[in-house]
Amino acid sequence: MATIELDHVSKRFGDGTEAVHDATFTIDDGEFFILVGPSGCGKSTLLNMIVGLEDVTDGEIRVDGRTVNDVDPKDRNMAMVVQSYAIYPHMTVRENIAFPLRLAKRAKDEVARRVDEVAAILELTDLLDRRPSQLSGGQRQRVAMGRAIVREPNAYLMDEPLSNLDAKLRVQMRTEIAGLQQRLGTTTVYVTHDQTEAMTLGDRIAILRKGVVQQLGTPRELYARPANVFVAGFIGSPAMNLLPAQIDGDTLRLPMVDVPMDDALRRRVRDTQGDVVVGVRPESFGDAAQLDDERRSRGVTFSAHVGVVEWMGAEQFAYVDLDRSTSRELTELANELGAEETGGAHRTRLVARLDQSSDVRAGADVELWLDTNALHLFATATGDRLAEVGGDDVVDVRTHPAAHAPAR
Amino acid sequence: MEGRVGAGKKVLWGLAALAVAAYALLPVAWVVSLSLKPGSELSDGSFLPKSPTLDNFRAVFKDPQFPAALRNSLGIAAISTVVAVLLAMFAAYAIVRLDFPGKRLVLGGALAIAMFPAISIVGPLFNMWRSLGLYDTWAGLIIPYMTFTLPLAIWTLSAFFREIPWDLDKAARVDGATPFQAFRKVIAPLAAPGVFTAAILVFIFAWNDFLFAITLTSTNSARTVPAALAFFTGASQFEQPTGSIAAASVIVTIPIVIVVLLFQRRIVAGLTSGAVKG
Repeated sequence: MATIELDHVSKRFGDGTEAVHDATFTIDDGEFFILVGPSGCGKSTLLNMIVGLEDVTDGEIRVDGRTVNDVDPKDRNMAMVVQSYAIYPHMTVRENIAFPLRLAKRAKDEVARRVDEVAAILELTDLLDRRPSQLSGGQRQRVAMGRAIVREPNAYLMDEPLSNLDAKLRVQMRTEIAGLQQRLGTTTVYVTHDQTEAMTLGDRIAILRKGVVQQLGTPRELYARPANVFVAGFIGSPAMNLLPAQIDGDTLRLPMVDVPMDDALRRRVRDTQGDVVVGVRPESFGDAAQLDDERRSRGVTFSAHVGVVEWMGAEQFAYVDLDRSTSRELTELANELGAEETGGAHRTRLVARLDQSSDVRAGADVELWLDTNALHLFATATGDRLAEVGGDDVVDVRTHPAAHAPAR
Repeated sequence: MEGRVGAGKKVLWGLAALAVAAYALLPVAWVVSLSLKPGSELSDGSFLPKSPTLDNFRAVFKDPQFPAALRNSLGIAAISTVVAVLLAMFAAYAIVRLDFPGKRLVLGGALAIAMFPAISIVGPLFNMWRSLGLYDTWAGLIIPYMTFTLPLAIWTLSAFFREIPWDLDKAARVDGATPFQAFRKVIAPLAAPGVFTAAILVFIFAWNDFLFAITLTSTNSARTVPAALAFFTGASQFEQPTGSIAAASVIVTIPIVIVVLLFQRRIVAGLTSGAVKG
């Protein structure tokens, strides 16, 4: 059990690159904390600093108030699970799990008892005398988990532990890890590049980009109120549509439609004029033909040409091509997010999430509705969110998804 | 059709292999034959001894210098092997895992030493060893053997260590191991095939060396078998000790043959590992 505090932590490597810049946050005792970001954002470096495999260049890491900057990894009593599992190929499953206890010179009968307990929890009892080479990917993953659990550490550190599993197993292990963490109640820091994993597992998430923490919050906060364009594009699948727009007096000009600004929007925009970036979640669109007048009046409608339709069963995604080319800033952002399925902003293409009953067809025109209360506004220059001063944002976490679901 | 081509190929390959084996083993067979011939048959030129006898072997062991040389050979080769492999393990691990200035220099230097002609240093070494008191001692031979085998051992072992994922060292460290424990309990066992390969190569080098042994020793206290063979004398000054030399040669070849037969799979695996990513 441990509270992990990071106090202005930075990491610079010998060649001058700064992997982590001034990270300050506290991971609470028993929390499931996620570090997420595209590859190369410094999330693994941060994890390695917490566990002690990398030196801290600047700042302080404290565990339960005690500075651990100079504590050897073996003395931090933290357990780590990595992407490659790193189970020892020359030892049996039993020896692998017992390894940390044997190093700690625990009594033989205690070691045997703990190994059996852990094996039972992870359903490894029948495999204890096998070698890692005889195990499947999922079983190896479990052995790695077992080796972490067995010594009852202060904290679990996981570095993309599910990335090597196939899609189905990944979902299954995700649930298992979540359940295990809840049962054990041990502080867990979990690194991933997968926003779905981050959203489903985390109590709280820190999003990193180029070594800088972009935003820290619960999955709901990040989804409903992304602090900047990067977070907006990273969280959510399919990704938020990010569009170049202009504020012209009392009108917000989107590439496909002009939106007259109401008081709520005006309060957020304040005196900004000219270019802004507008973010629209796919679910903030609707098929106008399916909506009643009352809902239609709360947004604007526009007609669009549908390029591709992905029918998912419970919903469908309509990809709409816009003639407007995107701005340079958004293209750059898209490239950075590019590795992700989120794809981000390079589209001159919108994605709209529609009800499965909508008869939208590829190649045809459709009348789309856009919920003007659900727009996210960002400053073009900084990418920061435009928010009402001190006030609660218009988009409410609890009502947001329901309010914009298309009428059934 | 295809089957016949396959069979034809097999026959051809078999014949080629046979030819190579015969070419390589004929001298060995000749030495074995010589060692079994009594003195009267030594120069008769026949391939098989007419009346095979173990007299030569008995004679070799009766000569006090041979058992002494055998002891020296075993001791010196064993110590050289253990020390060289141990040092090479540490050096290779450091080279693979650590980033330190002069790393390339160490590797390059090691390679240069391995290519250095030994004959060019035996003269100076002879003088140095005389003044340092290392002449005609075990250490006097162990040191040059290590020098010449360390590079090969370091290169072989680095290839092996490079194959071991870094995550394993890190996992061991986080699991509570000191850096040395991580090395001893995780890395070294995984590199065992490489250690075997390196050990065998070092052992064979030390066991077979003639140049250093003949130059840097003078008595039974450190003279190894290859050097001792040169000092065998016949029964009289008019008689060549051919039979004894042949018998002694057979005796010193046996350990190497056994070792290689036992570990040939490992050696092949060791020599080729790192060449292709498995």
